[in-house]
Amino acid sequence: MTQDTGLYGKMRFTEILHLVWINIMENKFKVILTSLGIIVGSATIVMVIAVGHGGEVDVQKQFKTLNAGSINISVSTEAEMRDQMMQGSFGPGGDMPGDMPSGMQGGMPGGMPGGTAGNRSGSRSGFGGNLAKKQSVVLSTTDVDTISSLVTGLSDVSIYTSATAKVEGGDLTEETEYTTVGVQSNYQSICNLELLQGDFISDDDQDSKNKVAVIGYTLAQDIFGSAYSAVGESLSIEGKTYEIVGVLSKMGSVSSGISPDNSIFVPYSTALKYVFGNNAVSQITAIVSDVNQVAEKMEEIKSILMEDHPNANFTVTDAGSSMEAATSSAKTLSRLLITVACIVFIVGGIGIMNVLFVSVKERTQEIGILKALGCSKREILLEFLSEANFISIFGGVMGVAAGFALVPVVRLSGMTVAPLAVSGIYAMLFAVCTGTLFGFYPAWKAASLMPIEALSQK
Amino acid sequence: MEQIIKIKNLRKSYGQGENRQEVLKGISIEVGDGEFLAILGPSGSGKSTLMNVIGCMDCFDEGEYWLTGEPVYKMNDAELTRVRNRKIGFIFQRYHLIQKYTALQNTMMPLLIRGVSRREAAEQSMEKLKMLGIGEQRINHRPNELSGGQQQRIAIARALVGSPKLLLADEPTGALDRETGEEVLALFRQLNEMGNTIVMITHDLHVAKSAKRIVKIIDGQLYEGSKSELLD
Repeated sequence: MTQDTGLYGKMRFTEILHLVWINIMENKFKVILTSLGIIVGSATIVMVIAVGHGGEVDVQKQFKTLNAGSINISVSTEAEMRDQMMQGSFGPGGDMPGDMPSGMQGGMPGGMPGGTAGNRSGSRSGFGGNLAKKQSVVLSTTDVDTISSLVTGLSDVSIYTSATAKVEGGDLTEETEYTTVGVQSNYQSICNLELLQGDFISDDDQDSKNKVAVIGYTLAQDIFGSAYSAVGESLSIEGKTYEIVGVLSKMGSVSSGISPDNSIFVPYSTALKYVFGNNAVSQITAIVSDVNQVAEKMEEIKSILMEDHPNANFTVTDAGSSMEAATSSAKTLSRLLITVACIVFIVGGIGIMNVLFVSVKERTQEIGILKALGCSKREILLEFLSEANFISIFGGVMGVAAGFALVPVVRLSGMTVAPLAVSGIYAMLFAVCTGTLFGFYPAWKAASLMPIEALSQK
Repeated sequence: MEQIIKIKNLRKSYGQGENRQEVLKGISIEVGDGEFLAILGPSGSGKSTLMNVIGCMDCFDEGEYWLTGEPVYKMNDAELTRVRNRKIGFIFQRYHLIQKYTALQNTMMPLLIRGVSRREAAEQSMEKLKMLGIGEQRINHRPNELSGGQQQRIAIARALVGSPKLLLADEPTGALDRETGEEVLALFRQLNEMGNTIVMITHDLHVAKSAKRIVKIIDGQLYEGSKSELLD
């Protein structure tokens, strides 16, 4: 007689898995169809985490060159304020042209100095002219001196102005408009600009109104073929020749509301005299040494400026709030997307449950035979649960692979997608949990059948 | 002689209240080791219910049932499961082979459920299949690729492979043609001569004749007598 040689006389788990394998091989198509819900769910998890993280990366990139303690001061007329309120913007410094993450454009408070570059582009034309006439107050270096001397706790204060200007020279075959920024020497440190070659605008350039320029990496490539051969060359801006004294490293981000890679930087005094003239609209940026004092310093600066310019509407914004708001928006988007992914999983799980229920019905007689032969409730439960888990793991692996495979496709749409390895783990965890959870009830029902009940089913 | 089955005053009914119908009305029977018993009865007499109870696949309301000395009437679900695997070999009218398993996999199942290794289970199953005339060329066939007689032989091999104390057969020739049925009955006699205890449920007098002992079940009650008396 055969002895009980097995582990505790119970069916070996490997044998249960073998039965699961036989069942799966017998029903390959059904397994694939059942897995579809899980495949879609897992791929969604990977994608939403990648898109959500992509949004956060975008925001980080956006603010890479920003100082959390920086305060931006601009002046707006009543008409401008009204226009911007109607557009849902909070202040003239609020527009952040360039590569803001989708959903965040056109309403970001606290745009950085020079952040009006896009809007101001029209200032050379009729609209900009009218705007300049309405503006009774123009920020100047005097205001910079006032702020520097009266407000304590500021590490730096700077003024600048930006708009598009007509540029000729180098490989350019015709006059082209580029963003031109009039800056002081400390603008480089304020915006963390790195130089590839040459020097930044100096105090001497500022004082002497020298016609020198520092250009962005991409712009240097566009005009001179290479970023490395631009220093020493010259450019014509609004009809005046400027010597290129420096080229910035590739920043790949938006700094101070403009893209340094595509901009020309000239001394502030030079910009006022030769580039923008009376139409120049300046903004001031102050850096607060202690980021915890930003709100307090904003109030202080505003009240000091109001004393000097009682009729002006000052908009004082801080970069920290903008960063916080943008990061928070990106996180909210991530959470929303993850919620969608969870819903997809629940739907996939219900799909598994339905298929397993049908499977239990179809296999009732098989369950009856196994029970008649002495298969225990636990073993039947294990078999059906293992089957559900296999479907989930298969679906999870396929879904994670599909999710990662879709990343380059989604990138083609211009969306920033940053896949994380951990998203694969989350997706697998979700897949297994869903399979186990929704597979349990049908498995338990199958295991609980009386042998004779199951056997007598046709 | 060791007693394999001892049943005392076993009762079972279906339904409740006015619809209550007593199917087994105080059955008492003893089956010794090495016996070949046929339970003969017409359709609706309660013979299938009796077989299910003897096979530990169904519960009963009253009475006592010992299988190889173990009190089945006191057992829980897990113990009944163990008894089915270790002590009883089932042979069903419709074979009840799992269609997606091969002949060998079907035969190995009682041993695999018991925890025996695949290699050992395969060896023992091959031995039984060979004994029952299923050659090696057939062992990897699925049931639907085999004839009724071959399927019943595989079912018998599956019942025998665990060396159970009791072979329980429910209309074992019911789905077979006369010739194949005769072969199966001859096999039963041979197995009995080898020492296996067989309890066979049938409605067919001719099939019942193959057994050494016959009891009749009519309307839920058992009647014992000599073979010739009962067959008359």
